[in-house]
Amino acid sequence: MMTKLLRVRELPILVALLILLLLTGILNPAFRTGDGLTAILIESALIGFLAVGQTNLIIMRHIDLSVSSTAGLVSFLVGSYSMNHGGVTGGVALLIAIGVGATVGIVNGALVAYLGLPSLVVTIATLYIVRGIFNYLAAGITVTADQLPPYFSWIGSGEVLGVPDLFVFAAAAAAIMTLVLRYTRWGRDLYAIGSNPPAARRVGIPVAHREFGAFVLNGSIAGVAGLMLLSRFSFADATAGLGIELYVVAACVIGGVAIAGGVGTPAGALIGAVLLQTIAFALGALGVSQFWQQAVAGALLVAAIAFDRIVAMRSTHRAMRLVEVPV
Amino acid sequence: MRSGGFRLGWDKGIILLLVLLIVFGGMSDNLFLSGDNINFIIGDVSEVMLIAFAMALLIIVKEIDLSVASNLTLSSAVIGITWHGTNSMWLAVIAGLLTGSTCGLINGLLVTRLGLSSLAVTIGTLALYRGLCYVLLGDTPVADYPTEWTDLGYQPIPGTFLPWVVVPMVVAGLAFWYVLHGTRLGRWLFAIGQGDEAAVFSGIPLKRVKLSLFVLTGFMCGLAGLAYTIRFASSSPDGALGFELLVIAAVLFGGVAIAGGVGTIWGVVAAVLIWGFSRSYLQLAGWDANALVIVSGLLLLVSVAVPRVLSKIRDAAAHRTSRPSSRGGVTPPPGGEAEPLSPAVAGHDQGSHRG
Amino acid sequence: MTSITKKVMAVAAGAAVIVGLAVAPASATPKAGLKIAIIPKAINNGYFTAWNKGAQKACKEIKATCKYIGPTQATGPAQVAFINQAIQQGYNAIVLSAADQNALAPTLKKAKAKGICVVTSDADVADPKTRTAAVLPASSDRIGAAEVDWIAQEVGSKGKIAILSAAATAANQNAWIEAMKKQLAAKYPNMSLAGVYYGDDDATKSAQQFNQILTEHPDIAGIISPTTVGILAAAQEKKSKGAKVAITGLGLPSQMKDYVLDGTINKFGLWNPIDLGYVGTYGAAECASGNLKQATGAKLKAGGKTYTEGPNGVIYLGDPFTFTKGNIVTFAKIY
Repeated sequence: MMTKLLRVRELPILVALLILLLLTGILNPAFRTGDGLTAILIESALIGFLAVGQTNLIIMRHIDLSVSSTAGLVSFLVGSYSMNHGGVTGGVALLIAIGVGATVGIVNGALVAYLGLPSLVVTIATLYIVRGIFNYLAAGITVTADQLPPYFSWIGSGEVLGVPDLFVFAAAAAAIMTLVLRYTRWGRDLYAIGSNPPAARRVGIPVAHREFGAFVLNGSIAGVAGLMLLSRFSFADATAGLGIELYVVAACVIGGVAIAGGVGTPAGALIGAVLLQTIAFALGALGVSQFWQQAVAGALLVAAIAFDRIVAMRSTHRAMRLVEVPV
Repeated sequence: MRSGGFRLGWDKGIILLLVLLIVFGGMSDNLFLSGDNINFIIGDVSEVMLIAFAMALLIIVKEIDLSVASNLTLSSAVIGITWHGTNSMWLAVIAGLLTGSTCGLINGLLVTRLGLSSLAVTIGTLALYRGLCYVLLGDTPVADYPTEWTDLGYQPIPGTFLPWVVVPMVVAGLAFWYVLHGTRLGRWLFAIGQGDEAAVFSGIPLKRVKLSLFVLTGFMCGLAGLAYTIRFASSSPDGALGFELLVIAAVLFGGVAIAGGVGTIWGVVAAVLIWGFSRSYLQLAGWDANALVIVSGLLLLVSVAVPRVLSKIRDAAAHRTSRPSSRGGVTPPPGGEAEPLSPAVAGHDQGSHRG
Repeated sequence: MTSITKKVMAVAAGAAVIVGLAVAPASATPKAGLKIAIIPKAINNGYFTAWNKGAQKACKEIKATCKYIGPTQATGPAQVAFINQAIQQGYNAIVLSAADQNALAPTLKKAKAKGICVVTSDADVADPKTRTAAVLPASSDRIGAAEVDWIAQEVGSKGKIAILSAAATAANQNAWIEAMKKQLAAKYPNMSLAGVYYGDDDATKSAQQFNQILTEHPDIAGIISPTTVGILAAAQEKKSKGAKVAITGLGLPSQMKDYVLDGTINKFGLWNPIDLGYVGTYGAAECASGNLKQATGAKLKAGGKTYTEGPNGVIYLGDPFTFTKGNIVTFAKIY
């Protein structure tokens, strides 16, 4: 039953994505050379990767808006470390990324899970606080490509069997997390918490610990995303990462992770990120003026949310008719 | 049983905080309370304050609107093209207010008629409305507004140091205060925020009320868009970036609970002013303005953490379990209310939801 | 083409003299002890770091206290807070590179009402009445035309080109774009402009816009990016994607050095932002001392050179330099 429902959720977006790609390829021959697809995959890698962590939180009816500040801060810290020390090893970079990211995650997680504060409020607050610290540290400093070790841009532009490194990384993360959510006790706990928090508690699921863990994980993911930012753009200053948090949530919602909680997979969220990016590219490739693109994207997002709700209501009715829903 | 008692304490607390801030700041920096500085602060917070009034009502009924900044900018864009098209500023103003209200109407319809989560929907309309700004203005901002209008942006009301925008702020503030705290509609709002089903059963037209609040929010965005346009003497598609989070932060810091059902207008006013005054004080003291967002974040955190910590201490002292039986405030409602499809980005275990 | 090169050499020599003379104490007619605010479009931009270097040099010479303050995002509303800060804190003068040619007008009027001197440097505002003087590199026509000439050389005077600009609200950008369109129409009938794209002086957005251009116009021959952030992003993207599009524009030699040495970019240009900051600060100081007003023909002395105001208080410093493999290493050391 669960498998069937999950498959139903991601299928429509996957189909929509394929249709869109096909259409764009037909209408714009240059798109077919694969450069277009590569560009889409690179751009969606960052948001898709962040969406992997965000999915866990949205499933539990939470949200984390501070990811953009964390990612930006990490990219700047690693960049300036490289600037001041004449380079940075992968190990140190990873250490900084996970260290900083997990710290933010711990703060968010502790406030939400153990103090019971609303995640929307807490993560808006940490978004501001981290961004403020970031601005203070980064005042007037710009890190450019020549101050970074070459392997950064090498990863950022490299490919594996024709698929961009960054996307392979994001896809692998999404696949692993989807399986973890499906087949481990930890994962199933998250869905249970999201579907019915009081019931989950009564059944003995350690709700607070699960929430805390998911926030720490998401924080670490945001930190690593900062490395992705750095490798993608070879550039870091006080504006790094600004504004992507809402795109991440949008990707999740489009990908079938309902704000209501309890459903959705990281794989779906990744597809959602790719779909968002494809729409942007398709509009460009089809000659739509760039001034229309954001409006169209917004309209499609609203439509996706409405559609998702209608589908969800239908499948709930179907499920309720077949199975007795315990309350 | 409401723990509204504590919430009212919070409101009085931040008013006190505002007074202390003004006094302390005035004593330690003689530029702080100069007419010019207050003029600037009021202008600086004007748009946030105007929208915050309406956002407060929305959050009280457990909804939210993330598209307010885009709405503001779109209204400003419409003011611009109407001004160019008709050469009448009054027509442009009307068009701007209509635009704001219509955007709010769309949000409201999507939430009340289609039953969509307001959080998710308004993320979508945030992109849609901002995108429409680019459609309307492209890469050419409108900047040739008549000086009689743009002068209102920086010249004070004759005889005082107050900027003209203080007039709509005070009028709106009084109107919202009266509606929320002195009318039956206001009581309905609190009732809705404290228990949807009970509200519906007692005859409150839930959907109509929520729809009106979204339209009202949209209207205030249009008004704020006008203020913004005048303040910067121009309309451009990338204005007011990030305002939505500022408004929400201010409302929450003002004592309006994210869980719904509790809040006051004077708390919101005090919160917005504290934000404005503290930023000004720190900037005068030499803080880099870019780091001032830390203040916004800390204020927000404090606003939700302190009541929670205090209530936990109270519970521990009374040897109760950590699940309080009272509603309202940040304390979550009693568990056991299964809400299958209701979105809840409020804290865990809360039956409260958005949309 | 050669005459411009000759002019460029002359100006280069002149600039070297200015930089040299700046070390020697100049006879400073501005009052000592002034407080001057130096406000760039954005504080985290290498171009403005160099701009500020010039400003601080001038400040030391004239014994003024100067503070470098500005937003992290190059928008007008963001700059307003800092202009206000300068007004509140009783500064005597402001040196400003305007991120938005319109949105600052009300605030600048406030500054003027308080007797604060405003001199724009690098990017002007639309209303000349809101500031005393403007110190600009060269007339927009010359800068725009030069950039079109550079790209034409690269693409053999035929094909589609695009412009990757900064913010749509920046006066200098818009003036150069107009000049480019004029030059294209006048001299290059076989070249066409595919479109103008805005990177907002944001590295991420500029990179995305670069890719957008390639997606929308796969046959694009050249891209002009008259902004240091844009041209850097374009060079990075071109190199990492192996794209076959010619790039030129305005860039900081220190940032672009590697891309010139490895052939990603052959030729680009810029004036010396240090000069702009230097002369702009002198202008602000002289104005605050009562020595400079907005009047055609008024003179401004800075660093041993004398500049003359044109109409509307505009002072031009001189044509841009062209950077190629031959001189990039030398200039990269300066700015």
